[in-house]
Formats: sequence, structure tokens, C-alpha cells
Amino acid sequence: MNKEIAIHLKNITKSYPGVIANKNVDFQVNKGEIHALVGENGAGKSTLMKILYGIEQPDEGEIVINGSMETINKVETAINLGIGMVHQEFTLVPSFTAPENIGLGQEPKNSKGLVDWKGLNKSVMDIAEKYGFKVDPGLKMIDASVGVQQRTEILKTLYRNANILILDEPTAVLTPQETDELFNVIRTLVNEGKTVIFITHKLREVMEIADRVTVMRAGEVQGVSETKNTSITELASQMVGREVFLQVKKDEADPKDEILNVENLWVHDARGLLAVNGVEMSIKEGEIVGIAGVEGNGQTELVEALTGLRKASRGKIMYLGEDIASSTPKNIRRKKIAHIPEDRTNTGLNTQLSIWENLIGNSYFRKPLSSKGIFNLKKVAKHANKLKEDFDIRSPNVSLKVKSLSGGNQQKVVVARELSEDPTLTIASQPTRGVDIGNIEAIHEQLVQMRDDGGAVLLVSAELDEVMAVADRVGVMYEGQIVKWVNPKEVDQSQMGLYMAGVTE
Amino acid sequence: MDKFSFKDVLVTFAGLFITTLVAWVLITSTGNNPSEVAKYLYEGGFKGTRNIANSLYQATPLILTATATLISFRVGMFNIGINGSMYVGALYAGWAGYRFTNLGHFSHVTLCILIGMTVGALWMLLPALLRVYAGVSEIISTIILNFVAVLFVSYMANGPFRADPIAPATARILETAELKQIFPNSQFNTGFFIAVIVAILAHFVLNKTTFGYELRSGGDGLVGVYPSRFSSYLGIPSDRSAIIGMLISGALGGLAGAIEVLGAVRYFFQELEFNQGFDGILIGILGKLEPIGAIIASLFYGAIKNGGFFVDYKTDVAREIIIVLISILIFFVSAQKIVKGLEKYPIVKKLDSFFSRKKM
Ligand SMILES: Nc1ncnc2c1ncn2[C@@H]1O[C@H](COP(=O)(O)OP(=O)(O)OP(=O)(O)O)[C@@H](O)[C@H]1O
Ligand SMILES: [Mg+2]
Repeated sequence: MNKEIAIHLKNITKSYPGVIANKNVDFQVNKGEIHALVGENGAGKSTLMKILYGIEQPDEGEIVINGSMETINKVETAINLGIGMVHQEFTLVPSFTAPENIGLGQEPKNSKGLVDWKGLNKSVMDIAEKYGFKVDPGLKMIDASVGVQQRTEILKTLYRNANILILDEPTAVLTPQETDELFNVIRTLVNEGKTVIFITHKLREVMEIADRVTVMRAGEVQGVSETKNTSITELASQMVGREVFLQVKKDEADPKDEILNVENLWVHDARGLLAVNGVEMSIKEGEIVGIAGVEGNGQTELVEALTGLRKASRGKIMYLGEDIASSTPKNIRRKKIAHIPEDRTNTGLNTQLSIWENLIGNSYFRKPLSSKGIFNLKKVAKHANKLKEDFDIRSPNVSLKVKSLSGGNQQKVVVARELSEDPTLTIASQPTRGVDIGNIEAIHEQLVQMRDDGGAVLLVSAELDEVMAVADRVGVMYEGQIVKWVNPKEVDQSQMGLYMAGVTE
Repeated sequence: MDKFSFKDVLVTFAGLFITTLVAWVLITSTGNNPSEVAKYLYEGGFKGTRNIANSLYQATPLILTATATLISFRVGMFNIGINGSMYVGALYAGWAGYRFTNLGHFSHVTLCILIGMTVGALWMLLPALLRVYAGVSEIISTIILNFVAVLFVSYMANGPFRADPIAPATARILETAELKQIFPNSQFNTGFFIAVIVAILAHFVLNKTTFGYELRSGGDGLVGVYPSRFSSYLGIPSDRSAIIGMLISGALGGLAGAIEVLGAVRYFFQELEFNQGFDGILIGILGKLEPIGAIIASLFYGAIKNGGFFVDYKTDVAREIIIVLISILIFFVSAQKIVKGLEKYPIVKKLDSFFSRKKM
């Protein structure tokens, strides 16, 4: 069979000061295929796609699109060539609706030279219908779920007539349901003759949706295979360069004294709506308690209340016998409660600051990092470099801005900082989002180690697999309450699915 | 902030080169001799004690206004109101300079400076509070306050503080309040050393202390990002950082004004015109938002400015042309993309990573 080649990146090399992000990369995508691109954090996947989309220019190499050689030195060129990209961090205007966002920059004009809103709405709805999207034209993006925002981003590329779609870790922020919907959309797109490049760290998704998969490691292509001829374990070891345990190794938990006891907690969300209504929960030292549930059922607000970022409207949060419900984040942190937040770019990090400045956010005030308010920069460097080693943060230098790190490595900075100060209670929200399998394994081991050392861990994750594998006890959250407590060893996925939909009988 | 890299050096030279070309055309087209202009520009900036002293004098307020601006930028506040602080600082330092009598030299100067700084800081309190408690953009409020400051000081010089029956001006400051001028025929004064020490202190506080770290935790870029979720998450009240950052920034603006009056002008009058607050924004950015960078950029800018005066004095070329050239220079020097095309050459890359390496 002779397939037409949509994209051929030849011999691409791209380096940043101190790192070679892409090294003689050869990458081919056939027309009409779903092509997965996988690899460790920092392997160079996003960089390669940014080169294809004209955001970055390669030092060397050629780009061939549909058989003709092209120089893509700006995004407009890529768009004109029919390439569209959806970044992991969305680029939507929050106060605009879907059609307004989609038309932005390419608004149709009416005879008076003004924006033809009706025409815009209609063409957006036509495209949406063609590909089976549901769109609410009046909904502002600030009120839309992540899944809806992502579909809007995809529609934006389709509105610009994209034939080749690049999706950079689209499923990292999606619930399993939303992922299924996204996959349906992708299949429709491919049936309509589009080509899709799909970056992910979830190999199960690769096997489920992709036709072929390219594996990258340390800037180089390790291999290309048809998904039907490969397996998750094979891909995993190709990615990491060693065998990866896809199971979490841990002994039976040995819970001791109670660390945290939440009594009848009520919390309102940013819009003033009731998000948590009557949560009861207890965490002991030496155990990992998981919270499962479809996103948006109050998990975010629960975590924010526990960490002092949001005031509880009612109820008690007893931590070591003291009510911390009205404490400030500072006081809560000083009581050795660590927090890995779900939103890493704005809450967990200041990407303008250097790696070391981000790593010392919870320890800068203590000896020997500083004394009498003055930094001991040698000690700080030592501390930062140790965390960099321990958590395998891939960067030539801790003085670089966090902005220059790959997505997964940014996440590792947050995890490294939060787990570093010997916390009594660790509240981890989506701790492995965007992290590759090798490092997921490492982070899970760290959490289990904290538990075995007598710490208490609260793990909130949209990844059902993760909660079930790591936690010793799991509460299912539904509409602001914990509707069911289960032993993860005793329930199966489908039963959990029912609980998460609020069916507990 | 980004550290200086080889690329910056390249950009600066590329900028200088392009500006030279533009200057050549401009000056030739106005019927003058470019090489003569270049000669006087150089001499005015760098040749002889008096010219050097004058260049340093020009740089003095710039060092402070640039440092003031970059401090507020780095706490996440987009403050463009330093010119306002400079005016009110100058006015009140001048007032204190004649109002308090029977003080020793050191105590009088110190008092005047502290009053100038306090007033400059208070001037920034309003936009800071408006931003933190009412959500009013500091960009808008500081722009407005710049206008208000001009009107306010001119009213004060014309009304309550007016001492001169002929011109709208305050009394001259007493000798005890003067910052000493060191060289004959130059307004260069000891304020220069104060400015440099303050900028070095700012460098130390911002980069080497936990206080500076807390201030910067919510910002540290060119774009104001207050209120920062990151700071609150770490337990660092970002409201406090924003307000303190603005106050420090205003105090340095006030200091710049105080030094102008105590060291050079020696009284305040209605027509006294400052624009160093605005130049400071450019210089702060040119210096990569680092106080040491601000010192270097200010020295350079001061020399060109003084060279410009010299050209004006020696040739027919209007000073305005020189100002246009300085603007073009800044324009090109901040145009990072000029060298983007060069980036892919291995030699540039090697040099870049060599120069941007920092031990950590
Ligand atoms: N702007 C930049 N400046 C400096 N280095 C960069 C920059 N962008 C990327 N890098 C480096 O290039 C390498 C590849 O990064 P890239 O973002 O392509 O990785 P990735 O494969 O997408 O990883 P992840 O799975 O974590 O998203 C990393 O080492 C990263 O630190
Ligand atoms: Mg990436």
C-alpha cells in the first residue's frame, strides 16, 4: 500500500542554550492517519511541534508538507498550509463566547465593514455540526468546562481550514468522559480526511486511538511503530530506556493516629455557588486517602478550603486537634501541610522566576538557606540542585526560568518543592498531570514513601487508575459530598463509575 | 529576570550600528557634517573632567528613576508614575531645604532627603491602595497622577511656597541643605554617589534577601501580574508586596527629585521640568530590570545626553535631533528580534550559552 505523506520533517535539529531539544529528527505522518507522539518529559515533542507550527525555527532540517518543501517561519505560514495546533495551555479570551473566540482575527465582515456576527455564528455552527460538536454559542469561556474550551480550540483550527491538527497533550486536563468525547471528535475528523498528531503520556490512549506511534527520547527518535504491532510495555521501555513497572508497589497501610478530621464542611465556589456541602473525612498518619470523582464535583474547592486558599462557609477542619478552617495559607504551610495544586502554571509556579526560586518557595525563610533575612546562595544552590537530581528535573541549570522547562518538568518542580520539607500532611491534587510514565512511577513511590515514613497523604485525581492504585482508602465525591468510601482492592472500575455518577445503591 | 547574554551585546551593537546609519542620513540631510557631530558627541560625553562630570550628573536621577521603575515592575505592578514622585519629592525636599534652620549640614541634608523620599512614597500610596482594594489599574492611576503632580507642584511654587515676588519660585535652600558640587562649572554633585549606593542596595535587597524574594514572588517580569496566585499559595501576602513595592518605588522617585533640587537647582520653580521619570522606564527595561543594569544603562544614556548638549552648543544641529537619535537607539537596542536570524549560527549559540552560564 502506498500512502500519501502529509508531513515529513527531515533531519530537524534545534538547540537551546545548554540543551539539544531535537537532534536529527526524522518524523513522518501519513495523510488521514492518527499519529501519536510519545516520549519522556523534555524529550522534545512540543519543540518539534512548535517547529512544524512556525513558533520555533529549527537550526537545521527541512519541512515537507504534502510533498513540497516549505519554510515555516511564522504561524501564519503554517495556518495557510492547513496546519492547526491546540496547545496544552489554552489561548482563549475568557470573556468571549465560543464563536467570538473562533472568529477572533478572521472575523467575517458585512457590507458596512463591520463584523458579521450572524454570519460568524452560522459558519461556526455549521462546522460544529459537520464534525458532531456540541456548541453553546452564548456561553463565555470563563464559565465553560475544560472540555468545552478544548473543543473551542479545535473548532478554531477547523474554522481556519486546518487539515493537519496538532494536539499537544489534549487529554492531560480532561476527565475520562471528556477524553472519550474527544476521541469521537478525532475519529470524525479523520473520517473527513484530516490528519491528526496527538501527543500524550497515556499509552493506553495511544493504543486506543492511534494508527502509528513515534517514540522520542532525549531529542531523538527511538522508533516508529504501528500500534497493532506494539504494546504498552514495549512503548514504555522504548521511551524510558529501561523497564517500567506499571503497577504501584506498596505494602498494606498501617494507619495510626488521626492527623486530619473534616467535619461537615461547606464551601462556596468563586461564583458564590455551593460547591462543597457537608464533607466528612478523616486521615490518619501512615495512610493515603484518595478522592475520586468526575471533575467539578467540589474537589477543587475542598482542597482550596483545606489549604486556606478559600474560606469555608461552615464546618471544622481539625488538624492535630486544632481547627484550621479560618487559618491563612501561611499558617497552614508552617504547620507542615504541603500542597500540590491542580493548576500548576498560575498557582503552583511563577514561570517568570528561575527554577531555584520556585524550588525554595516553602523553605526560603529557614536556615541554612537564609539567615536573618539574607540568602546563603551557596546553600540554596545545593538545596535546589539536590531536588533537581532527586526528582529528575531535566534542565542544564537551576538558574534558568521555569518557563524554559518542558511541561512535565515544570510539574516535577512543584512536586519536588512540596515533598521536600518533610510534610506531616500532603495534599496532592493531580500530582502527575503531564508527567511521563517513568516519573509517574517515581512520584507514586515518593507518595508511598511519605506514607511509610508516617506521613498522611490526601490524593485527589481525575485519573481513576491513579487513585485506585495509590490510595489505601478512596472517597467518591459527587455534587459536593463524599457519597461513598471504598477499599480500592474490593471494587472494580464499572462499580466506581456508578458511584461517581452518584448511584450508591 | 533574564540575565544578560551574548545576544544582548549583539543586539546593542546592532542597534548602535543601525542608529549610526540613520544618524548619518539625518544629519547629512540637515546640511551638517556627521563626522563632526560624532566627534562632539563623543567629546561632550566622555572627554575631559568637566564633560565627564556633566555626563555623570545627567545619569544621577536616571539611575534612581530606572531603579524605582524596575522595582515596581518586578513586584508585578506596572508603575509609570515615577515622574510624579520625582516632582513632589523635589518640591518638598526644596521646601525642607529653606524651612528648617539651625541644623548641621549632615542632619539638614538627611532630613531633606528623607522628606523628599517620604513624600515620593506617599504619592505612590494612592495608586497602590486603589489597585489592591478597588481593582483600579495602576497604569491608569499613575498616568493620571503624573499630570496631577505637575499641576500640584506648579500651584505650590506659585502659591503657598512662593517666595520670589517676580518669578513663581520657592526660596533658595540654605547652604546646610546643599549636596556639594565637586567640580567647577559642573552641576555634578555628591547625589551621584547616593544614587549608585541606593541602586546597589536595591540589587542586594531584590536578589539576595528573603524580603526581596517575597516582593518578587508575584511578579519578576515585564508584565505586571499582581495579584499573584503563586504568592498567596506560598503564604506570601501579595497585597502587602504590591503596596510595599510601590512605596519603595515612589521613595526612590522622590529621592531623584530631592537630589536634583539639593544638588543642582537649589530651589524649586514653576517651570522646572522633569522627564527622567519617563526615561527611567526605558532605561530600566534596557537594563533588563536589574539595578546594576540600570546603573550601566544610565551612565551610557547620561553620556549621550550630555554629548547631545555639547553638539547643540558646538554645531547647528538641534538638540532635538540628538533626542530623536537617542530614541531610535533605544528602539533598536530593545528590538531583540534583530538578531533572531543570527541565533542559528553555532558560534553565536556557543557564545550565548557561554555568557549566559551562571554558577548555581
Ligand atoms: N524556550 C526554551 N528555552 C530553553 N530551553 C527550552 C525552551 N523550550 C524547551 N526547552 C528545552 O527543550 C527540551 C525539550 O522540551 P519540550 O518542551 O519539547 O519537551 P516535551 O517532550 O514536550 O516534554 P513534556 O512531555 O514534559 O511536555 C527540554 O529540555 C526543555 O527544557
Ligand atoms: Mg510538551
